[in-house]
Amino acid sequence: MGALTVRGLTKRFGRTTAVDGVDLDVRDGEFFVVLGPSGAGKTTTLKSVAGLIDVDAGEVSIAGRSMTGVEPYHRNVAMAFESYALYPQKTVFENLASPLRSGRTGTYTPAQQKERIEAVAGTLGIGTLLARLPRELSNGQRQRVALGRVLVRPADVYLLDEPLSHLDAKLRAQMRVELKQLGEMSSTTSLYVTHDYQEALALGDRIAVLRAGRVVQIGTPLEIWNTPVDTFVARSLGQPEINLFDADVVDGAVRAAAGAIALPVPAGLDLPGDRARIGLRPRDLRVVADGPGAPGTLRFDGAVRLSERLGRLVELTVDVGDRLVVVVTEHPVAEGAAVHLEIPLEHVHLFAAADGGTDGPRLGSGRPTARPPVAALPGEDA
Amino acid sequence: MATELMPGRKRFTSGSVAADLGLVAWFVFSLFPIVWMVLLSLKSKAEQTTTYFRFSPTLANFHTVLSDSGRAVTSVDFKHALVTSVVNSGGAVLVSLVIGIPAAYAAGRWRFRGSENLLFTMLSFRFAPELMVIVPLFVVYNQIGLFDTKVGQIWVLQLVTMPLVVWILRSYFQDLPPDLEQAALLDGYSRRRAFVMVALPMVRPGIAASALLAFIFAWNNYVFPLILTDSNATTVTVAISKFLGGGGQAYYNLTAAAALIGALPPLALALTIQRYLVRGLSFGAVKA
Repeated sequence: MGALTVRGLTKRFGRTTAVDGVDLDVRDGEFFVVLGPSGAGKTTTLKSVAGLIDVDAGEVSIAGRSMTGVEPYHRNVAMAFESYALYPQKTVFENLASPLRSGRTGTYTPAQQKERIEAVAGTLGIGTLLARLPRELSNGQRQRVALGRVLVRPADVYLLDEPLSHLDAKLRAQMRVELKQLGEMSSTTSLYVTHDYQEALALGDRIAVLRAGRVVQIGTPLEIWNTPVDTFVARSLGQPEINLFDADVVDGAVRAAAGAIALPVPAGLDLPGDRARIGLRPRDLRVVADGPGAPGTLRFDGAVRLSERLGRLVELTVDVGDRLVVVVTEHPVAEGAAVHLEIPLEHVHLFAAADGGTDGPRLGSGRPTARPPVAALPGEDA
Repeated sequence: MATELMPGRKRFTSGSVAADLGLVAWFVFSLFPIVWMVLLSLKSKAEQTTTYFRFSPTLANFHTVLSDSGRAVTSVDFKHALVTSVVNSGGAVLVSLVIGIPAAYAAGRWRFRGSENLLFTMLSFRFAPELMVIVPLFVVYNQIGLFDTKVGQIWVLQLVTMPLVVWILRSYFQDLPPDLEQAALLDGYSRRRAFVMVALPMVRPGIAASALLAFIFAWNNYVFPLILTDSNATTVTVAISKFLGGGGQAYYNLTAAAALIGALPPLALALTIQRYLVRGLSFGAVKA
């Protein structure tokens, strides 16, 4: 047990800076997710915490103790590697026993070792594989063994590097649920690295979004989902991706898509240069019947270009003005049909205008008051 | 499938037949000296200079080489030279492995100041002909009493074996994913134990390959034992050559027999070690 603090962590590989002044405060027992695209510095951050990388600047503290100059085997952290890193010449049992036999993570009699290994193997459903070698396992089974080697012994911090990334979609969803239910996981400070926003939202007590070695935003899943700090974070979460439109303020309204979308400028919101970007999540948009728009909503019209069924839900691509809007709905709509789309004002994200594909910070929502809106998280089976 | 893998097997074309004939011709050409050596070793002294294939084969030459009568011819005990060669070559390989494996690991895993220069210097021992250093070595060995000793031979053979071991094994260590050793560190093992427990077993094929190559090179070395030894620590290569010129007379048949005997130990070692050479051990360690 112990809190984990990272201050100003910086690591360069040659001329590229993999991690650039990262600060993290992970509370005792917290399940903390680091989310970012590949190359964002997630694994480097994790290995720096483990002491496997010599950092160029910054400090890591575990349970209040500075880890500067402390060897990995003295840090009392356990890590699941993205590559699994199972010892190929050892059986599953011996792999799981490895941390118990080193003498640095506590002393265990053979009987205690067996007991712990069987308990953890039972939890992970690998109890029948103990006599096998890693090369005789499927990727999903290897993944479980790698997790087992972490869970088999107490540690101050668990470090998990994309532990679900190489599983097929079904197994991933199942393991995501199981992971959350593991007692060891819920009570031990965990740093979990992933590029999958659904994992991050489902598992994380809090999430740090990383881009190009820098922390962009830290918050609870709801905060990250509802008030993304900029368009990068907004685009990182959600499938299909958030709809973003460049907009100009004309006649007291933020207008986008050749004027087809017109949002009254929210009171108390300053839009620099009378330009902005509007962000509409596909799932927040609703297809509504003819008639006047409900109060507190933004409403606009379009024509369905494409209607794709994705299991329970339907993904619509709608022509709106000169742009395409992606909508996720429960009811199929015939292609070519005219539709009315509606979205509650608090779910309309306004970002600062940015040129040339750069990301702009969030300015606020379409709702006049500043109260942060609350919405349900996206479902699992899009 | 098979025909796709071997397109030339589909049918006989004039080109493929010519290529096959060419290969056979090359095969005969390169094997002929060995065949000739075998025949020569079975000839009596009277027939040793004949160039036709009709002769009465005898094993007497092998007997002569390994007995006292051979010693009378060359003043060198061939059996003693065999043992010395095994000790020298084996010793040289052993020393190279003990020192070279950690060196290769360090060089493969970490870049430290001067690491590239150090490795290049080591490799450069192989650039220069041994004759370039032999005169100063002769003087030094005489001064410090290493002349005609096995220790001296094992030491000087490091020039041959150490670069091989370090350079071959370095590439093996570089190919190992560092994740496994890092996992061992986090399991609570020291760097030394992580190396012994994780890295070392995975480069076994590399160790076998480099040890075999180093042994062959050490075994076949001629210049160092020729100049730096006398009767006490002389090796098979030198002993073989003595049959060519002992007492103003050349014993080609005895030379051939001695050379064949001298080729057996490396051959036996290669056959023993063969299965370790081909098998990759890292399969299943990390995700495919």
